[in-house]
Amino acid sequence: MNINGVQIDDTFAEAFNMRGTRVLITAQNLKWAYHAANAMTGFATSVIGCGVEAGIERELSAVETPDGRPGVSILMFAMGSKVLMQQLETRMGQCILTCPTAAAFAGIESEDQISLGKNLRYFGDGNQIAKLLPNAKGENQRYWRIPVMDGEFLTQESTGMVRAIGGGNFLVLGQSQPQVLAACEAAIDAMKKLHNVIMPFPGGVVRSGSKVGSKYPKMFASTNDAFCPTLKGIVKSELSDDIESVMEIVIDGLTFEDIAQSMKVGIEAACALGPENGIKRISAGNYGGKLGPHLFKLHPIMHGNLSTEAEQA
Amino acid sequence: MSALTFILKDAVKRIIDCKKLTPDTLQGKSLSDILAINLEKNLTVADVFDVQGDDATTLIFNNTTAQLQYIGYRMKTGNITINGDAGDFIGAQMQGGVLICKGNAGERAGDTMRRGILLIEGDAGDYCASNMRAGTLGVLGKTGAHIGYGMKRGTLLLSQTPAEQATWLDCGLHTLPFLNLLYQSFQTLDSKFTQLSNRRVRRWMGDVSGMGKAEMLVLQA
Repeated sequence: MNINGVQIDDTFAEAFNMRGTRVLITAQNLKWAYHAANAMTGFATSVIGCGVEAGIERELSAVETPDGRPGVSILMFAMGSKVLMQQLETRMGQCILTCPTAAAFAGIESEDQISLGKNLRYFGDGNQIAKLLPNAKGENQRYWRIPVMDGEFLTQESTGMVRAIGGGNFLVLGQSQPQVLAACEAAIDAMKKLHNVIMPFPGGVVRSGSKVGSKYPKMFASTNDAFCPTLKGIVKSELSDDIESVMEIVIDGLTFEDIAQSMKVGIEAACALGPENGIKRISAGNYGGKLGPHLFKLHPIMHGNLSTEAEQA
Repeated sequence: MSALTFILKDAVKRIIDCKKLTPDTLQGKSLSDILAINLEKNLTVADVFDVQGDDATTLIFNNTTAQLQYIGYRMKTGNITINGDAGDFIGAQMQGGVLICKGNAGERAGDTMRRGILLIEGDAGDYCASNMRAGTLGVLGKTGAHIGYGMKRGTLLLSQTPAEQATWLDCGLHTLPFLNLLYQSFQTLDSKFTQLSNRRVRRWMGDVSGMGKAEMLVLQA
Protein backbone atom coordinates (compact mmCIF):
# COMPACT_ATOMS: atom_id res chain seq x y z
CA MET A 1 0.00 0.00 0.00
CA ASN A 2 1.20 3.46 -0.87
CA ILE A 3 -0.12 6.91 0.09
CA ASN A 4 1.37 9.93 -1.70
CA GLY A 5 4.46 7.91 -2.46
CA VAL A 6 4.88 6.77 1.15
CA GLN A 7 4.89 3.02 1.74
CA ILE A 8 2.40 1.74 4.32
CA ASP A 9 3.63 -1.52 5.83
CA ASP A 10 1.23 -4.45 5.99
CA THR A 11 1.45 -4.67 9.75
CA PHE A 12 -0.48 -3.75 12.85
CA ALA A 13 -0.21 -1.77 16.06
CA GLU A 14 -0.82 -3.87 19.11
CA ALA A 15 -2.84 -2.32 21.91
CA PHE A 16 -4.12 -3.39 25.27
CA ASN A 17 -7.04 -2.79 27.63
CA MET A 18 -6.86 0.11 30.04
CA ARG A 19 -9.11 1.98 32.41
CA GLY A 20 -9.70 5.61 31.55
CA THR A 21 -11.28 8.73 32.89
CA ARG A 22 -11.85 12.30 31.82
CA VAL A 23 -11.58 15.37 34.06
CA LEU A 24 -12.63 18.90 33.14
CA ILE A 25 -10.36 21.55 34.57
CA THR A 26 -11.47 25.15 34.65
CA ALA A 27 -9.81 28.30 35.90
CA GLN A 28 -10.03 32.07 35.79
CA ASN A 29 -8.66 31.95 32.26
CA LEU A 30 -7.15 29.44 29.84
CA LYS A 31 -3.64 30.31 30.93
CA TRP A 32 -4.27 29.00 34.44
CA ALA A 33 -6.37 26.08 33.23
CA TYR A 34 -3.35 25.01 31.17
CA HIS A 35 -1.02 25.49 34.14
CA ALA A 36 -3.21 23.10 36.15
CA ALA A 37 -3.72 20.63 33.32
CA ASN A 38 -0.05 20.59 32.35
CA ALA A 39 0.91 19.82 35.94
CA MET A 40 -1.81 17.17 36.23
CA THR A 41 -0.71 15.42 33.04
CA GLY A 42 3.00 15.90 33.61
CA PHE A 43 5.22 12.83 34.02
CA ALA A 44 2.44 10.69 32.59
CA THR A 45 3.94 9.44 29.34
CA SER A 46 3.92 5.70 29.95
CA VAL A 47 2.47 3.34 32.51
CA ILE A 48 5.87 1.65 32.55
CA GLY A 49 7.32 4.35 34.76
CA CYS A 50 4.59 6.87 35.52
CA GLY A 51 1.64 4.79 36.66
CA VAL A 52 -0.70 6.53 34.24
CA GLU A 53 -0.71 7.92 30.75
CA ALA A 54 -2.40 11.28 30.56
CA GLY A 55 -2.76 14.24 28.28
CA ILE A 56 -4.83 17.25 27.38
CA GLU A 57 -7.68 16.27 25.09
CA ARG A 58 -8.96 19.71 24.08
CA GLU A 59 -9.81 23.24 25.12
CA LEU A 60 -13.26 23.99 26.49
CA SER A 61 -15.09 27.27 26.05
CA ALA A 62 -16.90 28.82 28.98
CA VAL A 63 -20.26 27.49 27.78
CA GLU A 64 -18.97 23.92 27.80
CA THR A 65 -17.92 23.83 31.45
CA PRO A 66 -20.04 23.33 34.56
CA ASP A 67 -18.92 26.55 36.24
CA GLY A 68 -19.02 28.75 33.15
CA ARG A 69 -15.28 29.39 33.04
CA PRO A 70 -12.82 28.43 30.31
CA GLY A 71 -10.98 25.17 30.72
CA VAL A 72 -9.46 22.06 29.24
CA SER A 73 -10.42 18.40 29.36
CA ILE A 74 -7.82 15.82 30.20
CA LEU A 75 -7.86 12.07 29.69
CA MET A 76 -6.03 9.71 32.00
CA PHE A 77 -5.42 6.00 31.47
CA ALA A 78 -4.00 3.24 33.64
CA MET A 79 -3.64 -0.52 33.47
CA GLY A 80 -6.14 -1.03 36.28
CA SER A 81 -8.80 0.77 38.27
CA LYS A 82 -6.80 0.79 41.51
CA VAL A 83 -3.81 2.57 39.96
CA LEU A 84 -6.06 5.00 38.14
CA MET A 85 -7.87 5.92 41.35
CA GLN A 86 -4.62 6.32 43.24
CA GLN A 87 -2.97 8.44 40.56
CA LEU A 88 -6.01 10.62 40.00
CA GLU A 89 -6.31 11.38 43.68
CA THR A 90 -2.60 12.15 44.06
CA ARG A 91 -2.50 14.36 40.99
CA MET A 92 -5.70 16.17 41.99
CA GLY A 93 -4.17 16.93 45.36
CA GLN A 94 -0.79 18.08 44.12
CA CYS A 95 -1.71 19.74 40.83
CA ILE A 96 -5.31 21.01 40.91
CA LEU A 97 -5.85 21.77 44.58
CA THR A 98 -2.60 23.73 44.52
CA CYS A 99 -3.18 25.69 41.30
CA PRO A 100 -4.65 29.19 41.73
CA THR A 101 -8.30 29.50 40.61
CA ALA A 102 -8.46 25.93 39.26
CA ALA A 103 -11.54 23.74 39.68
CA ALA A 104 -12.18 20.14 38.59
CA PHE A 105 -15.31 18.42 37.35
CA ALA A 106 -16.35 15.01 36.09
CA GLY A 107 -15.91 14.68 32.35
CA ILE A 108 -17.36 11.27 31.63
CA GLU A 109 -20.45 9.34 32.65
CA SER A 110 -20.22 5.81 33.94
CA GLU A 111 -21.69 3.58 36.61
CA ASP A 112 -18.12 3.10 37.84
CA GLN A 113 -17.21 6.20 39.80
CA ILE A 114 -13.78 7.16 41.11
CA SER A 115 -12.89 9.81 43.60
CA LEU A 116 -12.12 13.27 42.27
CA GLY A 117 -12.46 15.53 45.29
CA LYS A 118 -14.09 13.07 47.66
CA ASN A 119 -11.06 12.68 49.89
CA LEU A 120 -9.46 16.03 49.12
CA ARG A 121 -12.28 17.61 51.06
CA TYR A 122 -10.50 16.78 54.31
CA PHE A 123 -7.95 19.45 53.41
CA GLY A 124 -10.70 21.84 54.49
CA ASP A 125 -10.12 20.72 58.08
CA GLY A 126 -13.81 20.66 58.84
CA ASN A 127 -14.64 23.88 56.97
CA GLN A 128 -15.38 22.12 53.67
CA ILE A 129 -18.91 22.42 52.33
CA ALA A 130 -20.77 19.82 50.25
CA LYS A 131 -23.37 20.93 47.74
CA LEU A 132 -25.74 18.55 46.02
CA LEU A 133 -26.98 20.36 42.94
CA PRO A 134 -28.86 19.25 39.83
CA ASN A 135 -26.91 19.54 36.58
CA ALA A 136 -28.35 20.60 33.23
CA LYS A 137 -29.98 17.15 32.89
CA GLY A 138 -31.59 17.44 36.32
CA GLU A 139 -29.31 14.79 37.83
CA ASN A 140 -27.99 15.59 41.29
CA GLN A 141 -24.23 15.98 41.47
CA ARG A 142 -22.19 16.39 44.64
CA TYR A 143 -19.58 19.12 44.77
CA TRP A 144 -17.12 20.14 47.44
CA ARG A 145 -16.11 23.67 48.29
CA ILE A 146 -12.83 23.66 50.15
CA PRO A 147 -11.54 26.90 51.65
CA VAL A 148 -8.05 27.72 50.38
CA MET A 149 -5.91 30.84 50.48
CA ASP A 150 -7.03 32.18 47.08
CA GLY A 151 -10.72 31.72 47.89
CA GLU A 152 -12.39 28.37 47.37
CA PHE A 153 -11.27 25.19 45.67
CA LEU A 154 -14.32 23.79 43.89
CA THR A 155 -14.41 20.15 42.83
CA GLN A 156 -16.95 17.53 41.96
CA GLU A 157 -16.92 14.55 44.30
CA SER A 158 -16.27 11.87 41.67
CA THR A 159 -15.91 11.21 37.98
CA GLY A 160 -16.66 8.22 35.78
CA MET A 161 -14.24 5.44 34.95
CA VAL A 162 -14.60 3.54 31.69
CA ARG A 163 -12.94 0.70 29.81
CA ALA A 164 -10.46 2.09 27.30
CA ILE A 165 -7.59 1.11 25.03
CA GLY A 166 -3.96 2.09 25.23
CA GLY A 167 -1.01 1.59 22.95
CA GLY A 168 -2.38 2.42 19.52
CA ASN A 169 0.60 3.62 17.51
CA PHE A 170 2.34 4.13 14.23
CA LEU A 171 5.95 4.71 13.20
CA VAL A 172 7.13 7.38 10.82
CA LEU A 173 10.28 6.39 8.94
CA GLY A 174 12.25 8.98 7.01
CA GLN A 175 15.40 10.28 5.54
CA SER A 176 16.48 12.57 8.36
CA GLN A 177 15.65 13.39 11.96
CA PRO A 178 14.29 16.93 11.22
CA GLN A 179 12.12 15.62 8.39
CA VAL A 180 10.63 12.82 10.48
CA LEU A 181 9.98 15.21 13.36
CA ALA A 182 8.26 17.66 10.99
CA ALA A 183 5.99 14.85 9.75
CA CYS A 184 5.20 13.82 13.31
CA GLU A 185 4.36 17.40 14.21
CA ALA A 186 1.99 17.59 11.26
CA ALA A 187 0.40 14.31 12.34
CA ILE A 188 -0.03 15.49 15.94
CA ASP A 189 -1.56 18.79 14.81
CA ALA A 190 -4.17 16.86 12.85
CA MET A 191 -4.78 14.27 15.58
CA LYS A 192 -5.26 16.90 18.28
CA LYS A 193 -8.40 18.04 16.51
CA LEU A 194 -10.07 14.73 17.41
CA HIS A 195 -11.79 14.01 20.71
CA ASN A 196 -11.50 10.95 22.97
CA VAL A 197 -7.78 10.39 22.33
CA ILE A 198 -4.48 11.60 23.74
CA MET A 199 -0.91 11.20 22.60
CA PRO A 200 0.84 11.05 25.97
CA PHE A 201 4.50 11.42 25.03
CA PRO A 202 6.38 14.76 24.86
CA GLY A 203 4.79 16.78 22.09
CA GLY A 204 2.86 13.60 21.25
CA VAL A 205 5.97 11.93 19.83
CA VAL A 206 8.24 9.20 21.22
CA ARG A 207 11.71 8.48 19.90
CA SER A 208 12.45 5.49 22.12
CA GLY A 209 10.11 2.78 20.95
CA SER A 210 10.74 -0.45 22.82
CA LYS A 211 10.71 -4.17 22.38
CA VAL A 212 9.73 -6.65 25.07
CA GLY A 213 12.66 -7.94 27.15
CA SER A 214 16.36 -7.21 27.31
CA LYS A 215 19.73 -8.87 27.67
CA TYR A 216 19.69 -7.48 31.20
CA PRO A 217 17.41 -9.65 33.36
CA LYS A 218 16.00 -6.74 35.35
CA MET A 219 14.84 -4.88 32.24
CA PHE A 220 11.46 -5.93 30.84
CA ALA A 221 11.66 -3.52 27.92
CA SER A 222 14.57 -2.23 25.89
CA THR A 223 15.28 -0.26 22.75
CA ASN A 224 13.50 -1.41 19.62
CA ASP A 225 16.79 -2.24 17.88
CA ALA A 226 15.13 -3.40 14.67
CA PHE A 227 14.06 0.23 14.12
CA CYS A 228 17.24 1.91 15.39
CA PRO A 229 18.97 3.39 12.33
CA THR A 230 22.44 3.42 13.87
CA LEU A 231 22.29 -0.37 14.37
CA LYS A 232 21.05 -1.32 10.92
CA GLY A 233 24.24 -3.14 9.98
CA ILE A 234 24.57 -5.20 13.11
CA VAL A 235 21.06 -6.30 14.14
CA LYS A 236 18.18 -7.84 12.23
CA SER A 237 17.06 -4.44 11.06
CA GLU A 238 13.71 -3.40 9.63
CA LEU A 239 15.29 -0.38 8.01
CA SER A 240 16.57 0.21 4.53
CA ASP A 241 19.66 2.24 3.75
CA ASP A 242 17.71 5.45 3.13
CA ILE A 243 16.11 5.53 6.60
CA GLU A 244 18.05 7.60 9.10
CA SER A 245 15.37 8.30 11.68
CA VAL A 246 12.22 6.69 13.09
CA MET A 247 9.71 8.21 15.48
CA GLU A 248 6.55 6.80 16.99
CA ILE A 249 3.21 8.31 17.87
CA VAL A 250 1.38 6.46 20.63
CA ILE A 251 -2.36 6.90 21.09
CA ASP A 252 -4.60 6.09 24.05
CA GLY A 253 -8.33 6.38 23.48
CA LEU A 254 -11.73 5.61 24.81
CA THR A 255 -12.72 3.20 22.03
CA PHE A 256 -11.17 1.21 19.19
CA GLU A 257 -12.82 3.51 16.66
CA ASP A 258 -11.40 6.63 18.33
CA ILE A 259 -7.86 5.28 18.10
CA ALA A 260 -8.30 3.96 14.56
CA GLN A 261 -9.66 7.31 13.39
CA SER A 262 -6.79 9.10 15.07
CA MET A 263 -4.22 6.81 13.43
CA LYS A 264 -5.81 7.34 10.03
CA VAL A 265 -5.78 11.12 10.36
CA GLY A 266 -2.22 11.15 11.70
CA ILE A 267 -0.84 8.86 9.01
CA GLU A 268 -2.54 10.89 6.28
CA ALA A 269 -1.01 14.10 7.62
CA ALA A 270 2.47 12.56 7.81
CA CYS A 271 2.16 11.08 4.34
CA ALA A 272 1.02 14.41 2.93
CA LEU A 273 4.64 15.60 3.25
CA GLY A 274 5.67 12.75 0.95
CA PRO A 275 9.08 11.43 -0.16
CA GLU A 276 10.09 14.88 -1.38
CA ASN A 277 10.18 15.89 2.28
CA GLY A 278 12.00 12.73 3.30
CA ILE A 279 9.03 10.65 4.48
CA LYS A 280 9.51 7.11 3.17
CA ARG A 281 7.49 4.59 5.17
CA ILE A 282 4.81 4.18 7.82
CA SER A 283 4.93 1.14 10.06
CA ALA A 284 3.62 0.18 13.48
CA GLY A 285 4.89 -1.28 16.71
CA ASN A 286 3.71 -4.72 17.66
CA TYR A 287 4.91 -7.56 19.77
CA GLY A 288 3.83 -10.42 17.56
CA GLY A 289 0.36 -10.36 19.02
CA LYS A 290 1.63 -11.32 22.47
CA LEU A 291 0.96 -8.07 24.33
CA GLY A 292 -2.64 -7.07 23.82
CA PRO A 293 -5.90 -8.15 22.24
CA HIS A 294 -6.42 -5.10 20.03
CA LEU A 295 -4.73 -5.16 16.65
CA PHE A 296 -4.87 -1.95 14.65
CA LYS A 297 -4.08 -3.11 11.14
CA LEU A 298 -2.73 -0.28 9.05
CA HIS A 299 -4.13 -1.31 5.67
CA PRO A 300 -7.81 -1.71 6.71
CA ILE A 301 -7.61 1.51 8.73
CA MET A 302 -6.17 3.49 5.82
CA HIS A 303 -8.93 2.06 3.64
CA GLY A 304 -11.40 3.60 6.07
CA ASN A 305 -12.39 0.50 8.02
CA LEU A 306 -12.27 1.93 11.51
CA SER A 307 -14.58 -0.50 13.24
CA THR A 308 -13.44 -3.24 15.54
CA GLU A 309 -14.05 -5.57 12.63
CA ALA A 310 -10.76 -4.31 11.30
CA GLU A 311 -9.15 -6.23 14.13
CA GLN A 312 -10.59 -9.42 12.76
CA ALA A 313 -10.09 -8.68 9.08
CA MET B 1 -49.09 14.23 32.02
CA SER B 2 -49.60 17.64 33.58
CA ALA B 3 -48.52 18.89 36.98
CA LEU B 4 -50.76 17.93 39.85
CA THR B 5 -52.33 21.27 40.75
CA PHE B 6 -54.04 22.23 44.01
CA ILE B 7 -56.22 25.33 43.77
CA LEU B 8 -57.20 26.70 47.16
CA LYS B 9 -60.93 27.26 47.46
CA ASP B 10 -61.89 30.83 48.36
CA ALA B 11 -64.32 29.67 50.99
CA VAL B 12 -61.57 28.09 53.09
CA LYS B 13 -60.54 30.51 55.83
CA ARG B 14 -58.75 28.37 58.40
CA ILE B 15 -55.13 27.24 58.73
CA ILE B 16 -54.44 24.15 56.63
CA ASP B 17 -51.65 21.67 57.33
CA CYS B 18 -50.26 20.52 53.96
CA LYS B 19 -47.75 17.98 55.31
CA LYS B 20 -49.40 15.17 53.40
CA LEU B 21 -49.14 16.87 50.01
CA THR B 22 -45.66 16.17 48.67
CA PRO B 23 -44.48 14.40 45.49
CA ASP B 24 -43.27 11.49 47.61
CA THR B 25 -46.55 10.90 49.39
CA LEU B 26 -48.80 11.41 46.37
CA GLN B 27 -47.05 9.30 43.75
CA GLY B 28 -49.06 6.26 42.75
CA LYS B 29 -52.28 7.64 44.21
CA SER B 30 -55.38 8.11 42.09
CA LEU B 31 -57.22 11.43 41.99
CA SER B 32 -59.99 10.02 44.19
CA ASP B 33 -57.39 8.80 46.70
CA ILE B 34 -55.82 12.25 46.76
CA LEU B 35 -59.17 14.02 47.18
CA ALA B 36 -59.94 11.78 50.14
CA ILE B 37 -56.74 12.58 52.06
CA ASN B 38 -57.56 14.05 55.44
CA LEU B 39 -55.66 17.32 55.99
CA GLU B 40 -57.34 18.56 59.13
CA LYS B 41 -60.02 17.21 61.40
CA ASN B 42 -63.12 16.72 59.21
CA LEU B 43 -61.39 18.41 56.29
CA THR B 44 -60.17 16.50 53.24
CA VAL B 45 -58.27 17.66 50.20
CA ALA B 46 -61.56 17.85 48.34
CA ASP B 47 -62.90 20.29 50.95
CA VAL B 48 -59.88 22.58 50.64
CA PHE B 49 -58.68 22.37 47.06
CA ASP B 50 -59.84 21.90 43.54
CA VAL B 51 -57.38 19.40 42.12
CA GLN B 52 -56.26 19.08 38.50
CA GLY B 53 -53.52 17.21 36.66
CA ASP B 54 -51.94 13.83 37.18
CA ASP B 55 -48.14 14.18 37.44
CA ALA B 56 -47.35 13.86 41.13
CA THR B 57 -43.63 14.49 40.62
CA THR B 58 -44.49 18.16 40.03
CA LEU B 59 -46.97 19.86 42.35
CA ILE B 60 -48.42 23.34 41.92
CA PHE B 61 -50.35 25.26 44.56
CA ASN B 62 -52.49 28.08 43.14
CA ASN B 63 -54.54 30.86 44.72
CA THR B 64 -52.54 30.35 47.88
CA THR B 65 -52.43 32.39 51.08
CA ALA B 66 -50.51 32.24 54.35
CA GLN B 67 -53.15 29.79 55.59
CA LEU B 68 -51.24 26.94 53.95
CA GLN B 69 -48.60 25.64 56.32
CA TYR B 70 -45.97 22.96 56.08
CA ILE B 71 -45.93 22.84 52.28
CA GLY B 72 -43.06 20.58 51.19
CA TYR B 73 -42.69 19.07 54.65
CA ARG B 74 -40.10 16.28 54.51
CA MET B 75 -40.23 16.22 50.69
CA LYS B 76 -37.47 14.08 49.22
CA THR B 77 -37.85 14.45 45.45
CA GLY B 78 -39.73 16.30 42.76
CA ASN B 79 -40.76 19.93 42.47
CA ILE B 80 -43.35 22.05 44.22
CA THR B 81 -44.28 25.54 43.06
CA ILE B 82 -46.44 27.81 45.21
CA ASN B 83 -48.03 30.52 43.07
CA GLY B 84 -48.72 32.96 45.87
CA ASP B 85 -48.00 33.31 49.56
CA ALA B 86 -47.33 30.42 51.90
CA GLY B 87 -47.68 30.05 55.62
CA ASP B 88 -45.24 28.92 58.26
CA PHE B 89 -42.85 26.01 58.06
CA ILE B 90 -42.65 25.66 54.27
CA GLY B 91 -39.89 23.21 53.39
CA ALA B 92 -39.59 22.14 57.02
CA GLN B 93 -37.44 19.02 57.33
CA MET B 94 -37.08 19.00 53.56
CA GLN B 95 -34.79 16.20 52.36
CA GLY B 96 -34.51 16.85 48.63
CA GLY B 97 -36.18 18.22 45.53
CA VAL B 98 -37.00 21.83 44.72
CA LEU B 99 -39.61 24.00 46.44
CA ILE B 100 -40.39 27.43 44.97
CA CYS B 101 -42.58 30.02 46.67
CA LYS B 102 -43.43 32.87 44.31
CA GLY B 103 -44.95 35.00 47.02
CA ASN B 104 -44.06 35.60 50.65
CA ALA B 105 -43.37 32.80 53.12
CA GLY B 106 -44.31 32.70 56.78
CA GLU B 107 -42.12 31.95 59.75
CA ARG B 108 -39.53 29.18 60.03
CA ALA B 109 -39.20 28.52 56.30
CA GLY B 110 -36.79 25.62 55.81
CA ASP B 111 -36.83 24.70 59.48
CA THR B 112 -34.53 21.71 60.10
CA MET B 113 -34.11 21.31 56.33
CA ARG B 114 -31.56 18.64 55.41
CA ARG B 115 -31.16 18.75 51.64
CA GLY B 116 -32.71 20.19 48.50
CA ILE B 117 -33.39 23.70 47.25
CA LEU B 118 -35.99 26.08 48.71
CA LEU B 119 -36.45 29.34 46.81
CA ILE B 120 -38.61 32.17 48.13
CA GLU B 121 -39.15 34.96 45.62
CA GLY B 122 -40.90 37.24 48.10
CA ASP B 123 -40.19 37.92 51.76
CA ALA B 124 -39.51 35.32 54.44
CA GLY B 125 -40.82 35.62 57.99
CA ASP B 126 -38.98 35.31 61.28
CA TYR B 127 -36.67 32.42 62.08
CA CYS B 128 -36.04 31.67 58.41
CA ALA B 129 -33.75 28.59 58.10
CA SER B 130 -34.01 27.87 61.82
CA ASN B 131 -32.09 24.73 62.78
CA MET B 132 -31.31 24.11 59.11
CA ARG B 133 -28.94 21.12 58.71
CA ALA B 134 -27.95 21.45 55.05
CA GLY B 135 -29.26 22.34 51.61
CA THR B 136 -29.83 25.67 49.90
CA LEU B 137 -32.40 28.30 50.82
CA GLY B 138 -32.71 31.47 48.75
CA VAL B 139 -34.76 34.58 49.52
CA LEU B 140 -35.10 37.45 47.06
CA GLY B 141 -37.19 39.65 49.36
CA LYS B 142 -36.74 40.77 52.93
CA THR B 143 -36.09 38.42 55.81
CA GLY B 144 -37.45 38.67 59.33
CA ALA B 145 -35.86 38.47 62.74
CA HIS B 146 -33.55 35.69 63.93
CA ILE B 147 -32.63 34.43 60.47
CA GLY B 148 -30.54 31.25 60.58
CA TYR B 149 -31.30 30.68 64.25
CA GLY B 150 -29.50 27.49 65.28
CA MET B 151 -28.51 26.82 61.66
CA LYS B 152 -25.83 24.13 61.50
CA ARG B 153 -24.81 23.74 57.85
CA GLY B 154 -26.15 24.72 54.46
CA THR B 155 -26.37 27.87 52.40
CA LEU B 156 -28.66 30.85 52.73
CA LEU B 157 -28.60 32.99 49.58
CA LEU B 158 -30.04 36.43 50.21
CA SER B 159 -30.51 39.39 47.91
CA GLN B 160 -31.11 41.78 50.78
CA THR B 161 -28.94 42.29 53.84
CA PRO B 162 -30.58 40.77 56.92
CA ALA B 163 -30.54 42.23 60.41
CA GLU B 164 -27.15 41.65 62.04
CA GLN B 165 -26.97 39.01 64.71
CA ALA B 166 -24.33 38.36 67.35
CA THR B 167 -24.08 34.67 66.48
CA TRP B 168 -23.34 35.19 62.77
CA LEU B 169 -19.80 36.30 61.90
CA ASP B 170 -18.79 38.43 58.93
CA CYS B 171 -16.31 36.58 56.69
CA GLY B 172 -15.98 39.43 54.18
CA LEU B 173 -16.63 40.06 50.51
CA HIS B 174 -15.89 37.34 47.95
CA THR B 175 -16.42 36.40 44.32
CA LEU B 176 -17.36 32.73 44.32
CA PRO B 177 -17.17 30.62 41.12
CA PHE B 178 -19.32 28.09 42.93
CA LEU B 179 -22.31 30.39 42.44
CA ASN B 180 -22.17 29.69 38.70
CA LEU B 181 -22.95 26.06 39.49
CA LEU B 182 -25.76 27.07 41.79
CA TYR B 183 -27.25 29.47 39.25
CA GLN B 184 -26.97 26.84 36.54
CA SER B 185 -28.96 24.45 38.72
CA PHE B 186 -31.75 27.07 38.74
CA GLN B 187 -31.91 27.33 34.95
CA THR B 188 -34.49 24.59 34.43
CA LEU B 189 -36.83 26.19 36.97
CA ASP B 190 -39.69 28.60 36.44
CA SER B 191 -38.46 31.19 38.89
CA LYS B 192 -37.02 34.69 39.22
CA PHE B 193 -33.92 32.97 40.62
CA THR B 194 -32.94 32.11 37.04
CA GLN B 195 -32.11 35.81 36.56
CA LEU B 196 -29.32 35.74 39.14
CA SER B 197 -25.80 36.05 37.78
CA ASN B 198 -23.93 38.04 40.42
CA ARG B 199 -21.10 36.09 42.04
CA ARG B 200 -20.06 38.89 44.38
CA VAL B 201 -21.27 38.17 47.90
CA ARG B 202 -20.67 39.03 51.53
CA ARG B 203 -20.25 35.78 53.43
CA TRP B 204 -21.41 35.29 56.98
CA MET B 205 -20.87 32.12 58.98
CA GLY B 206 -22.99 30.92 61.86
CA ASP B 207 -24.85 30.12 63.97
CA VAL B 208 -21.81 30.08 66.25
CA SER B 209 -23.96 29.49 69.28
CA GLY B 210 -23.96 25.96 67.90
CA MET B 211 -21.98 24.23 65.17
CA GLY B 212 -21.37 27.41 63.16
CA LYS B 213 -20.71 25.71 59.81
CA ALA B 214 -23.59 27.34 57.94
CA GLU B 215 -23.16 30.23 55.53
CA MET B 216 -25.22 33.22 54.58
CA LEU B 217 -24.29 34.68 51.18
CA VAL B 218 -25.63 38.19 50.71
CA LEU B 219 -25.57 39.24 47.06
CA GLN B 220 -23.84 42.56 46.47
CA ALA B 221 -25.11 45.22 44.10
